[in-house]
Amino acid sequence: MLRYLITRVGLVVPSFFGLTLLTFAMIRLIPGDPVEVLAGERGMSPERHAEMMARLGLDQPVLTQYATYLGNLLSGDFGISIVTRTSVLEEFLTLFPATIELSVAAITIAVAIGLPAGILAAVRRRSVLDHGVMAVSLTGYSMPIFWWGLILILVFSVELGLTPVSGRISAFFWVEPVTGFLLIDSLLSDEAGAFGSALHHLVLPSIVLSTLPLAVIARMTRSAMLEVLGEDYIRTARAKGLGAGRVIGLHALRNALIPVVTVIGLQMGVLLAGAILTETIFAWPGIGKWLVESIHRRDYPALQGGILLVASTVIMINLMVDLLYGLLNPRIRHQR
Amino acid sequence: MTTGTAAAPLLEIADLAVGFTTRAGHLRAVDGVSLTVADGEIVGIVGESGSGKSVASLAVMGLIDTAGTVTATRLRFAGQDLLTLGARARRRLAGAEIAMIFQEPMTSLNPCFTVGFQLKESLRVHQRLRGRALTAAAVALLDQVGIPDPAARLEAFPHQMSGGMCQRVMIAIALAGNPRLLIADEPTTALDVTIQKQILDLLVALQRARGMALILITHDMGVVAETCDRVVVMYAGQVVEQRPARALFARPRHPYTAALLDALPERALGRRRLPTIPGVVPGIGDRPDGCLFHPRCARAQDVCRTDRPALAPDGAGWVRCPLPLGDPA
Ligand SMILES: Nc1ncnc2c1ncn2[C@@H]1O[C@H](COP(=O)(O)OP(=O)(O)OP(=O)(O)O)[C@@H](O)[C@H]1O
Ligand SMILES: [Mg+2]
Repeated sequence: MLRYLITRVGLVVPSFFGLTLLTFAMIRLIPGDPVEVLAGERGMSPERHAEMMARLGLDQPVLTQYATYLGNLLSGDFGISIVTRTSVLEEFLTLFPATIELSVAAITIAVAIGLPAGILAAVRRRSVLDHGVMAVSLTGYSMPIFWWGLILILVFSVELGLTPVSGRISAFFWVEPVTGFLLIDSLLSDEAGAFGSALHHLVLPSIVLSTLPLAVIARMTRSAMLEVLGEDYIRTARAKGLGAGRVIGLHALRNALIPVVTVIGLQMGVLLAGAILTETIFAWPGIGKWLVESIHRRDYPALQGGILLVASTVIMINLMVDLLYGLLNPRIRHQR
Repeated sequence: MTTGTAAAPLLEIADLAVGFTTRAGHLRAVDGVSLTVADGEIVGIVGESGSGKSVASLAVMGLIDTAGTVTATRLRFAGQDLLTLGARARRRLAGAEIAMIFQEPMTSLNPCFTVGFQLKESLRVHQRLRGRALTAAAVALLDQVGIPDPAARLEAFPHQMSGGMCQRVMIAIALAGNPRLLIADEPTTALDVTIQKQILDLLVALQRARGMALILITHDMGVVAETCDRVVVMYAGQVVEQRPARALFARPRHPYTAALLDALPERALGRRRLPTIPGVVPGIGDRPDGCLFHPRCARAQDVCRTDRPALAPDGAGWVRCPLPLGDPA
């Protein structure tokens, strides 16, 4: 396991450097003058332009610029937003809990429904249930998030009036941000009903966001279970006289979980991408919405820092998935 | 159907048939298997690949999945009718009174659980042991099957052990329910030649010590000659001959049995090449009329091509052939 661990952690370093190269190059590849892009000013006088060049370090050789950029990153300086003039890292950290809350809710729904559905489909292979699960999951798989979100809003919010249209909580409540997670903060505050309102607002966006991972998890669970159920050790488990619950729920599932957990982890990364659309549709004040707004406002430093932070998060999630995979797989866990 | 033993046999099978419905059509993988096993007896089942040996034993274990249908005129174990027994009671029988080990020991153990977990699981279910007594019983079983340092081995995962060790663990698991019948389906085929003998000796020693019956499925006529009291020869899903081992080796009555024996290296002494049986076992769609073996039989007559022979009493055993070789013995 130690060697596995070192390799996995070691792989993170080059990915991170590749990522910084990309974000570093991004600003310079955007059409237009990088000074104007970074300073967020247009039509500068030549003197001001030269002054800004010097201030932003753009008069230095590219390698020096990159080294400075890396140094800044390492000291926690992810740039300053042109629009709000605040630190990008600070903005990110303020908004990130909202995205995490949405993503965790979505992945919880996806796992809670997708996993049992996949298991049932595999156990009742070629039954009506199996075909049903597969058909629904294929639909979910190919559903454009934007369209699906709007449909749900139209039906549940507009027609039936069951759910709020947008936001994280009703405007009637003011909850002091302690953790940034509204479900927790609303419980900590003394505003009666705030938790209910926050939960109510979370339902629709998390369903929308969970649709794709749910479909992926259900399909993956089904195929992993089908493969495992044909293995010799399942026959052994049955030959031992164990009940179907133990054979399927323990002997088969434990093995099927190894690939399934990997897929679930990878879906966490996909979720962050899906969150961009979902947050925009539901006006959910998280990272996704922030990135989209930064694009509209041409706030390139915010975009640069935001992309770097989101991508780093994905890299870290993937690392954790790898480690979990190693822990779940005895062949890797006991390797020297 | 009866054998020479006076008391009711431990296992009685009459006209067992197992059919599979596949995309390619309906296959009678087992069709007309009749045999009995007495307490403490070693019965060998031989036959080429695809003759239905594994499917027949899985049917006895109740392990044929939903794609297959099992029928029989008689399927009794220790006085219980397996055909009418409920699923739960049937399951309690499997792993306890009847146990089975398989051809591929490395893949037959669950890679995600330790040897100890898999062994204790059986002991917990069948002997209701818990705590210290459970661990002690697990260690004792591993010791019985000849695993060195058994207490430490409880923590091992299957991939940390050799094939021979895995098969020993499988045997220990099979013994966990104190079975009266152990079915060993080609238990040594996947192992190194040197290990094969050790495992066979272990099985025979355990069979003697515990007085359990043993069904040994194998391709190896030499193994049968050494270990088995009685031999069942299967061909294309059917039992074609059955008799005490000594008689079968001395005077085979079915031409297929004779051909299998002729293929033994020690019988082919002096000949340049081992004789083989021409042709292959008929598959799904190409079961011939008449005797299933007649296309490959040097002695086939008209009657063999038209009439399907029944399994008939013949001396001390049974044979499915209208024109058996030699005199009954
Ligand atoms: N689940 C199944 N579905 C369909 N056909 C099957 C199934 N299991 C076995 N069969 C078929 O039944 C026939 C008998 O198989 P079986 O495994 O019993 O042969 P065997 O005598 O054990 O051969 P071997 O010596 O290779 O182990 C084969 O033709 C096989 O393809
Ligand atoms: Mg077999």
